[in-house]
Amino acid sequence: MHIVDGVLSTPVLVAGSAATLAGVSLGLRQLTLDRIPVAGMLSASFFVASLINVPLGPSSVHLLLNGMAGMLLGWAAFPAMLVGLILQAAFFGFGGLTVLGVNAFNLAAPGVIAWLIFAPLVRRASPKTAAIWGGLGSAFAVTLTTVFVAMSLALSGDSFIAAAKLVLLAHLPLVLIEGVLTGFAVLLARKVKPELFAALKGRQ
Amino acid sequence: MIDLHDIHFSYTGQAPVLQGANLKLAPHERLSITGPNGAGKSTLLRLILGLQKPNAGTITVLGKPRRRESDFHEVRRRVGLVFQDPDDQLFSPTVLEDVAFGPLNLGASRDEAVEIVDSLLDCLDLAHLRDRVTHKLSGGEKRLVTLATVLAMSPEVLLLDEPTNGLDSKNEGRLIEILQALPQAMILVSHSTRFRDQIAPNALALENGELRQID
Amino acid sequence: MTGLGQAAGQTHFGIRAIDPRMRILAALAFGICVVSLTALWTVAMALGLALLMLVFSRQPVWQTLRRMAVMDGFIVFTLVLLPLTVPGPAALHILGLPASWAGLRMACEIILTANAVILALMTLVGSMDPVTLGHALHRLYLPDALVHLMMFTIRYVDVLRGEYLRLRSAMKVRGFRPGTNLHTYRSLGYLIGMILVRAIERSERILAAMKCRGFEGRIFLLQDFRLTPRDWIFTTIFMLALAVLLICDKAPL
Repeated sequence: MHIVDGVLSTPVLVAGSAATLAGVSLGLRQLTLDRIPVAGMLSASFFVASLINVPLGPSSVHLLLNGMAGMLLGWAAFPAMLVGLILQAAFFGFGGLTVLGVNAFNLAAPGVIAWLIFAPLVRRASPKTAAIWGGLGSAFAVTLTTVFVAMSLALSGDSFIAAAKLVLLAHLPLVLIEGVLTGFAVLLARKVKPELFAALKGRQ
Repeated sequence: MIDLHDIHFSYTGQAPVLQGANLKLAPHERLSITGPNGAGKSTLLRLILGLQKPNAGTITVLGKPRRRESDFHEVRRRVGLVFQDPDDQLFSPTVLEDVAFGPLNLGASRDEAVEIVDSLLDCLDLAHLRDRVTHKLSGGEKRLVTLATVLAMSPEVLLLDEPTNGLDSKNEGRLIEILQALPQAMILVSHSTRFRDQIAPNALALENGELRQID
Repeated sequence: MTGLGQAAGQTHFGIRAIDPRMRILAALAFGICVVSLTALWTVAMALGLALLMLVFSRQPVWQTLRRMAVMDGFIVFTLVLLPLTVPGPAALHILGLPASWAGLRMACEIILTANAVILALMTLVGSMDPVTLGHALHRLYLPDALVHLMMFTIRYVDVLRGEYLRLRSAMKVRGFRPGTNLHTYRSLGYLIGMILVRAIERSERILAAMKCRGFEGRIFLLQDFRLTPRDWIFTTIFMLALAVLLICDKAPL
């Protein structure tokens, strides 16, 4: 899902960076220093959880968890995703440098949209219904990220349109798996710690 | 220095933890507290620092009753708590920055803070850890550094929650040596009889929500 | 291993001796410069420059190259289609479909660019301790909250990974074998939920511990950096190299 350097056209790179800049500054406005520990811990746990190999047939996939991050962090998902991407690029060689803005936007923006739509539903519902909304929210965010990635490619040149379609197709299984897994994650979290989804919101 | 009177406490929606607990700590006195898992020993320490508020009872620390969050700001500056898990306490990138965090909050300038850190680390024989990254310390090193982070604020009372957790016998020896040399009044929560006997032989047992003297 | 727990090597040779702030800025300049190159041979030269730096960085060469190759595996499926979709004279036929020279050239250019930039980033920035990266970004005037968020993430990734691995081995010793089935997905879902719950609870204890030490909304970073003549020499040579790349790129071959 990470686009690398050298693929995207300059207008796409600039637009993505500007949008991420705006998102990060909105997110940082929410992050007073007493909320940094909880945001940092969540960001670290998404980092760890995205390294888990989830089996899929003969192969395996990694989760994006951007929907989950969005529903828990709200706008703070922008800085959290950016931090994650910087660390991944510099220390693991995943992704790229000039594409940081576009990649962060493609992950964080769907997360924030999922937060706006699904987080109130997850917070209010019974654990079981919350699990369904949480799963749907995650699947929605992954779908939207896939669409954004495909659009970033397609907007960069007609020659990428075929690749963009391939990206859409190839990520369909991930949408399903991510939805199911995070559904169960929400189910457990809501049972064990009902106030989880208010962790960042509560002290606003 | 610390006087807990008739403290009642329960976590929301759960069975009561403390039901009429009483505790008095005199200057330079050292008390230890034992009790089964989940008896409320850590909760007791958290109540003293206002991290949790009692359902009933009075908490008097350093001569004043403490009720509101703002009452406890002074308590936290003058009473040091060493947490059970060092990873909860060491959050800064480097040892220097973590030990300096408390003094800086107390209003020390940057240079003063660094000076406090250096002389304290020297004194505890931990100077070699000064520039290390906190999450790369060994378990024993983390434990000794957490103690330093609290001592850097020159607390008048020291509260220790299971400080021997995860320590090997060599580091436990170091810890005993350091604690025995300190002048502060202390409340020690520990399962280890051997450790209690060396630091604070005067022991209370926390059972069924109350504290009673062990002879 | 997460890669965020590597030893803090205090070596003073080659790239590692250069001021971290300069290394970050150099990596950025390199990225922007290489992305804007258009000639295939100048992009190849940029990759050569990145490889040269790798040799002088004392980074484990094979491990770094292997990570780079893993990335190539991911992007290959974006690229295989290019020769088929970019119009132009056919170079060869794949399964009866014409593959254009222009498309092949474009795929090569992307591979070279992506590898050159990520390699330079891993060499210049990836060779520092993650904590040093945070300190340097702080001194480069990134917003405090962003730097502290990064520092917390770095600080607790290994702690959380330890927790994850313990939970995972506890599952393993009870006979859990992951496969493509609902039981696996449910178990892994619960595992992720549990990691999140524990993370939140730990963050509550951390905040409590911070309050106990008089935290009133400020965190301080104490690390300072000083630029030495060596840093300026490195920067000058590096900028000259980038200028040469840009000039060669514009020059007709």
